[in-house]
Amino acid sequence: MNDPIQVLTLFLFNIVLVNIPLLYGTVGEIVVEKSGSLNLGVEGTMAIGAMFGYLAGCAANSLAAGLLVSFLTAGLCGLLFAVLTVSLQANQNVTGLTITTFGLGLYFFVGKGLGERWPAMTASDGLVKGYSALEIPGLSKLPVIGKALFSHNALVYLGIAIALLVWWYLNFTKTGLRLRAVGENPGAADSVGINTLLYKYVHLIAGSGIMGLGGFYMALYMSGSFEGSNCWINGYGWIAIALVIFANWNPVLAVLGTLVFGFFNTLQIYAGPLAGAFPGPLGWLSAIPPQLYKALPFMITAIVLIASSVRKREGSGQPAALGLNYFREER
Amino acid sequence: MEEQQYAIEMRGICKSFGSVAANNNINLNVKSGEILALLGENGSGKTTLMNMLSGIYKPDSGIILVDGQEVAINSPEDAKKLGIGMVHQHFKLVDVFSAADNIWLGDDKSGLVLKKERYGVIRDMARKFGFDIDPRKKVYNMAVSEKQTLEIVKVLYYGAKIIILDEPTAVLTVQETARLFDVLRRMKAEGHAIIIITHKLNEVLEISDRVAILRKGEYITTVDTSSTNEQQLTEFMVGRKVELNIDRPVVDKTRPLLEIRDLTIKNDEGAVAIDKVNFYIRGGEILGVAGIAGCGQKELCEAIAGLRPIESGMMIHKGDNIVGLPPKAILEKGISMSFIPEDRLGMGLAPSMSVTDNMLLKKYDQARGPFVDRKTGRAEARQVIQELEIVTPSTETPVRRLSGGNVQKVLLGREIKAGPNVIVTAYPVRGLDINSSYAIYDILNRQKKDGVGILFVGEDLDVMIDLCDKIMVLCHGRVMGVVHAHKTSKEELGLMMTGALDLTNKYEDKPAGIARDSRIEETGEVEK
Amino acid sequence: MKNRQPLFHVVKREGASPARQLLAYVAAVALALAVGAVLLAVQGVEPVTFYRQLITMGIPGSRYPWRAVENFIKLFVPLLIVSMALSLAFKMRFWNIGGEGQFIMGAFWAGFAAMKLGESLPRPAMVLVMALCGALGGGLYGVFVAALKVKWGTNETLLTLMLNYIALYFLQYFAETKTDWNFFLDPGSARPKFAKFPASAQMITIPIGPFNLNLSLLIAAALCVLLYIYLNYTKRGYEIAVVGDSPNTARYAGMKVGKIVIRTIFLSAALIGLAGAFQVSSAGILSASVTNDVGWTGIVVAWLAKLNTAGIVVASLLITVLQFGCQTASTTYPSIDANFANLLQGVILFIVLAADFFTRFQLVRTRKEAAK
Repeated sequence: MNDPIQVLTLFLFNIVLVNIPLLYGTVGEIVVEKSGSLNLGVEGTMAIGAMFGYLAGCAANSLAAGLLVSFLTAGLCGLLFAVLTVSLQANQNVTGLTITTFGLGLYFFVGKGLGERWPAMTASDGLVKGYSALEIPGLSKLPVIGKALFSHNALVYLGIAIALLVWWYLNFTKTGLRLRAVGENPGAADSVGINTLLYKYVHLIAGSGIMGLGGFYMALYMSGSFEGSNCWINGYGWIAIALVIFANWNPVLAVLGTLVFGFFNTLQIYAGPLAGAFPGPLGWLSAIPPQLYKALPFMITAIVLIASSVRKREGSGQPAALGLNYFREER
Repeated sequence: MEEQQYAIEMRGICKSFGSVAANNNINLNVKSGEILALLGENGSGKTTLMNMLSGIYKPDSGIILVDGQEVAINSPEDAKKLGIGMVHQHFKLVDVFSAADNIWLGDDKSGLVLKKERYGVIRDMARKFGFDIDPRKKVYNMAVSEKQTLEIVKVLYYGAKIIILDEPTAVLTVQETARLFDVLRRMKAEGHAIIIITHKLNEVLEISDRVAILRKGEYITTVDTSSTNEQQLTEFMVGRKVELNIDRPVVDKTRPLLEIRDLTIKNDEGAVAIDKVNFYIRGGEILGVAGIAGCGQKELCEAIAGLRPIESGMMIHKGDNIVGLPPKAILEKGISMSFIPEDRLGMGLAPSMSVTDNMLLKKYDQARGPFVDRKTGRAEARQVIQELEIVTPSTETPVRRLSGGNVQKVLLGREIKAGPNVIVTAYPVRGLDINSSYAIYDILNRQKKDGVGILFVGEDLDVMIDLCDKIMVLCHGRVMGVVHAHKTSKEELGLMMTGALDLTNKYEDKPAGIARDSRIEETGEVEK
Repeated sequence: MKNRQPLFHVVKREGASPARQLLAYVAAVALALAVGAVLLAVQGVEPVTFYRQLITMGIPGSRYPWRAVENFIKLFVPLLIVSMALSLAFKMRFWNIGGEGQFIMGAFWAGFAAMKLGESLPRPAMVLVMALCGALGGGLYGVFVAALKVKWGTNETLLTLMLNYIALYFLQYFAETKTDWNFFLDPGSARPKFAKFPASAQMITIPIGPFNLNLSLLIAAALCVLLYIYLNYTKRGYEIAVVGDSPNTARYAGMKVGKIVIRTIFLSAALIGLAGAFQVSSAGILSASVTNDVGWTGIVVAWLAKLNTAGIVVASLLITVLQFGCQTASTTYPSIDANFANLLQGVILFIVLAADFFTRFQLVRTRKEAAK
């Protein structure tokens, strides 16, 4: 464990492994926010996706079933949000917070309720196998980065693939273009015949579904062990909301942002080993309180938020109509 | 077929917002290969009517036929499918998108993937229509006229068979307008049906085949352009002179209370809204301001109240410069401004608050101690309710619950209660019934007798001719002249409003809008 | 096909009747309880018994009924004050979701005062100093956002959200760092653990027989009245109402909108900080989870009550009963925990959010002659 190369490798490996759920949450929220909705229910949506995805995965003994169910159940949260805020014009902040409250409540209710009947992940070889590392031929043999980047489970690759896909979808497809128009200026989108209602619904559901996949990942990462006091998601949903801003609503930047946030996140655990492995250049790491690493993502985001408001629009990816409900006949 | 089928036909269209009837039993039709001009004053319901074709609003009653088939237009999507395209007066563009992407948004033919070729496609398409646009330019970098051009190209690109343009020329230069008209003529030759909303009579006569006229939400008539002239159109638009028997007391006038010199103001879009305007108000007179839709009235009122920065010029109140003063300081000088916007609640009232609270809006701070003096407010509310015959369940009813004109009686009542020396009031009788209107004229006249100077921005020329002492006519932000109300006629005003008649330099020694006994020269405030 | 018309058409409604609103709430609670009953039954828990325990909160038949009431008050007071304070901000359409952070800051600075001065000041003075420190700590943490919002239009929803977590980890740092200078911790414990406050920093209680009435309840009640007066009768409250209703009209009336926003948000955040101070003073100790999610729940309460003072009292009482009741009721059922309250709360809110639509809008049947 004291071999510097090994410590560094493990550190880098964990940055990716532990933080990809964040990427799911972030990319999902980007999809949602690009449609003009500020959904503060990420935490609850991920919790619901995690719980039901995991249970379904265990029941069906299959990773795919888990993925599907986590996507669908989290998507239902998105549907709920859409019905309330798009069709029924409810306040987005309150609705989002309620989804989080409700989601966490349901998560614990189901988990507690199962009690002794709780399925262990080890009993489901479908999940265990599905979650085991896939070494990418060739690349995984590279020193350090082979292990750090190319020896991960399938969900890591899937997360990055989804981020890239969403990036391509937003910027290089017509539906993506229309989605952005809906988030920027629903009145304009409406006037050229875009069905704003449909766009908002579809993307709220799909975006929430993606968040749910992140929750499912988290369940597997936690080896499916349910604790009564701590939710698997453990605040990732909130960090995801911050990361959306940090990434300037760009899924590719979200990948980088995940690594940056993940870097700090992981450093709080690896500061000691790293300082031990490289006492010369990194010895000071152990002197930094771990809470600072936890707070840094939020601090950086707060600074980004303030700085972008000072500099004003141009280049900002924030949808202009974010958080505003649209009612066509409003005058 | 004994007659050519109409491309679009509207029959008996009614639409109201709350208690205000914006359109009442309107009939309209346009054939393919024809340009129809839709003419009417501010608030006559033109845009509302067109929005029912573009799917923004739905008619309360009446039917719409496209190519002789009855249709229901539930959304802009439906309108687009029916081949109806509208260029809105307030641009419907996504600021952060390029020109091409704004058009591409609504394109149904191309595939899913965005390709770089779209820029070329759009550029070529625009060229074909005679427009030169930079397809990669972002909308937030565009000038007003460029945005307008983009809007037009957009509709053309979607291949609409029926094209509606809501005041397309208002922001275009003369050359651009000429080019637009060329395009419209070509479209017409290709068999499109075109409806154009405009106030410029010369343009109506130049471009249209027929003219439909609306007045106060009512359909007046449709005439062939070839058999009409500016005089007749103006008459249709403003109506014949109606005797109203409004009092016009003669009062001793004081020296100018408020003088405006060379005032230039921009609107929210950054275009010039008021262009080097001169006028003055004396105590004991009512100066009317006439003009068509958005020719700068709102911006002028806001500037006087200190709510809108001015570009250049002077505003002198009793010899003191009020340019740059905060709204509160202007209030304290005794200048009252009340503006009734189209929705009646936008400015000057807090809609969710009670009548009493709204009475206190400008003087809540004057009471001693930390509390709002609702007792006085309630007493005043009661008084105003009684004097103006406001119908309200109580003084504590939120203003937004009041019906129709009662809202604006509250507003005007409050302004007068404050005892101002200059009253700026815009559309104070908008939507009021006859009795309430007369009550308001009485109030204004009483103020006038007390030596108050009144700027009355109005819509109804009959009223203005009877009520005002002088009338200033604005056309697209410029003064077309100031005339004595008892010497002018509706026709003259109408011609001035549409820009066909300019009286500013009728007397070369005395340009309109500048007082001979101005205090500006006297106080030496000329240099800013 | 072209004649397809939707059956209904949505129109804005002018004003909603209070009766209709009340009905919606009662129905929401009833429906949520019904949904909860089904869920409980699925878990094999007898709903009626559970609900009875929830509503009585275990007070009757308890060996220390007064202790239960005291604990109830400790939960109720912070929620009440925070909801009140948030309603101030929401009245101006300022989306302060930073209640958590402001609460933590209030608690932290109150704790700071307690640990530094606790030994030297008498109790009433100490409690007062803590209250002031808490209010100032929370207030400054909030006013910072208001200033940015006024100056540059910074998105306050997202910024206050970030500040919540920064405050949380700030507090955690003091909770988990065992060093010589960290006077917050118990020197006697080897593991990092917050020290109990000196006796003089404990919230004053008024003994009434066996029951100790927490002074903060009286202060909270007084604050409710004061805030009600402030909002409804003073010039400052009047300004808040106008700015919230129509900023344009406020400007037209000569009000300095920016100044009013900053002042009000300071007040709002200071009250939240004060609640934090009361919380730690009542507990007699700091805690890393000091907020008990009151910053979030307060938003829900303020919104449920439509920012109405009396409504806030009722709604925060209801939510506290729900939470405290679930807590006590769940002790007898291993399969249910306090989070069940969140579930119920969520369902209630969903229903109210949906029902709210019908108080703000109405569906009008599309007319026949237009549809045909």
